[in-house]
Amino acid sequence: MVRDRNPAGLSKTEAVRYRARMPISKDDPLRRREFARGVTDILPAMPGAVAWGVVTGVAMVKSGLALSWALAMSITAYAGSAQLAVLPLLKDASPLWLIGVTALITNLRFVIYSAAIRGWFTDYTRLRRVWLGYLSGDFVIVTFLNRVACEGTFVHRDAYFFGMCITNWVLWNVASIVGIVGAAYIPTQWGLEFAGVLALLALVVPLCRERPALAGATSAAVVAVLGHAWPLRLGMIAAIMIGITVAMLVDARQRAARASPQARS
Amino acid sequence: MDNYSPFEMILAIALIVVSTFVTRSALLVIGERVKFAPRVEAALRYAPVCALAALVAPEILLDAAGLAVSLDNPRLPAALAASLFLLWKRSIVGCIAVGMTVFALWRVFVTGS
Repeated sequence: MVRDRNPAGLSKTEAVRYRARMPISKDDPLRRREFARGVTDILPAMPGAVAWGVVTGVAMVKSGLALSWALAMSITAYAGSAQLAVLPLLKDASPLWLIGVTALITNLRFVIYSAAIRGWFTDYTRLRRVWLGYLSGDFVIVTFLNRVACEGTFVHRDAYFFGMCITNWVLWNVASIVGIVGAAYIPTQWGLEFAGVLALLALVVPLCRERPALAGATSAAVVAVLGHAWPLRLGMIAAIMIGITVAMLVDARQRAARASPQARS
Repeated sequence: MDNYSPFEMILAIALIVVSTFVTRSALLVIGERVKFAPRVEAALRYAPVCALAALVAPEILLDAAGLAVSLDNPRLPAALAASLFLLWKRSIVGCIAVGMTVFALWRVFVTGS
């Protein structure tokens, strides 16, 4: 992972502005361009996020949550899978600590995501990193990692990231408000949520081109299916851990196989 | 929902908000102070693909009754068609459109649900 404080391709004045952590301003075309590219890069995945937002909104209202609580939760929590995981607990009048723990564990994959992206954001202010993290999501993180994997580091990574985040945040929230307000008119049997699944699938498939990633994804999928009924969504965590381990093992074997013919000759 | 007082509802939502902040922002904020072993750092490369696979697989392969690997599950042919289209055209929007179309048609003409 590249972690340079002064990325290549920066003029002296640009480097000064870059280190000064200038906010998005109208007189900085470079920042605006990165922000705009973030918006356009995330848009293809947004039909999935919108469908998921609507379904989450509908689910919150249909589980008996009052309109105002559903709106408050949707806008502040900003965590679709955690919100859906918590709904049955709220319905059963579960203790609050169980709600907190379930939300935390459903969100645990973001700890691994943020570990994967943290090296790219060490030179921004703490406050900015808090917001970058809070506003991120599955689509945003994978799109960002895909870009830095192809292009390496670039200037105004935060502007690019914010461009994606804000698009995702606005569309997801508009969609969940539509779902909350229109819950009575949107039948749950339409299967709208499947569009969200397909959008995530569209992110997974291209990542599986390398064999270690394919092996990791397959084992993660198997464990997630087997462990879906485990308490506190622990099956999900087991799936990610086992998937990563398998990917690393296949990676190591591939390296060894590639190295050995040369070693013998 | 009358299971909770307004104060408890605010607390419940606050707990979810805290979990969002803690899981997504904590490592970013203390990023430069946490040093992982090189092996762990390399393993993180495979984290997104594994997390996404773990998220997606149950949504496709399971239904309310459990494992649903049969032609009665419209999500299987839909996911297959969507993946093939994606590999062919590399379009996320197209992948969603093809998947949803196959999903809808399969439900109308094959499973009849």
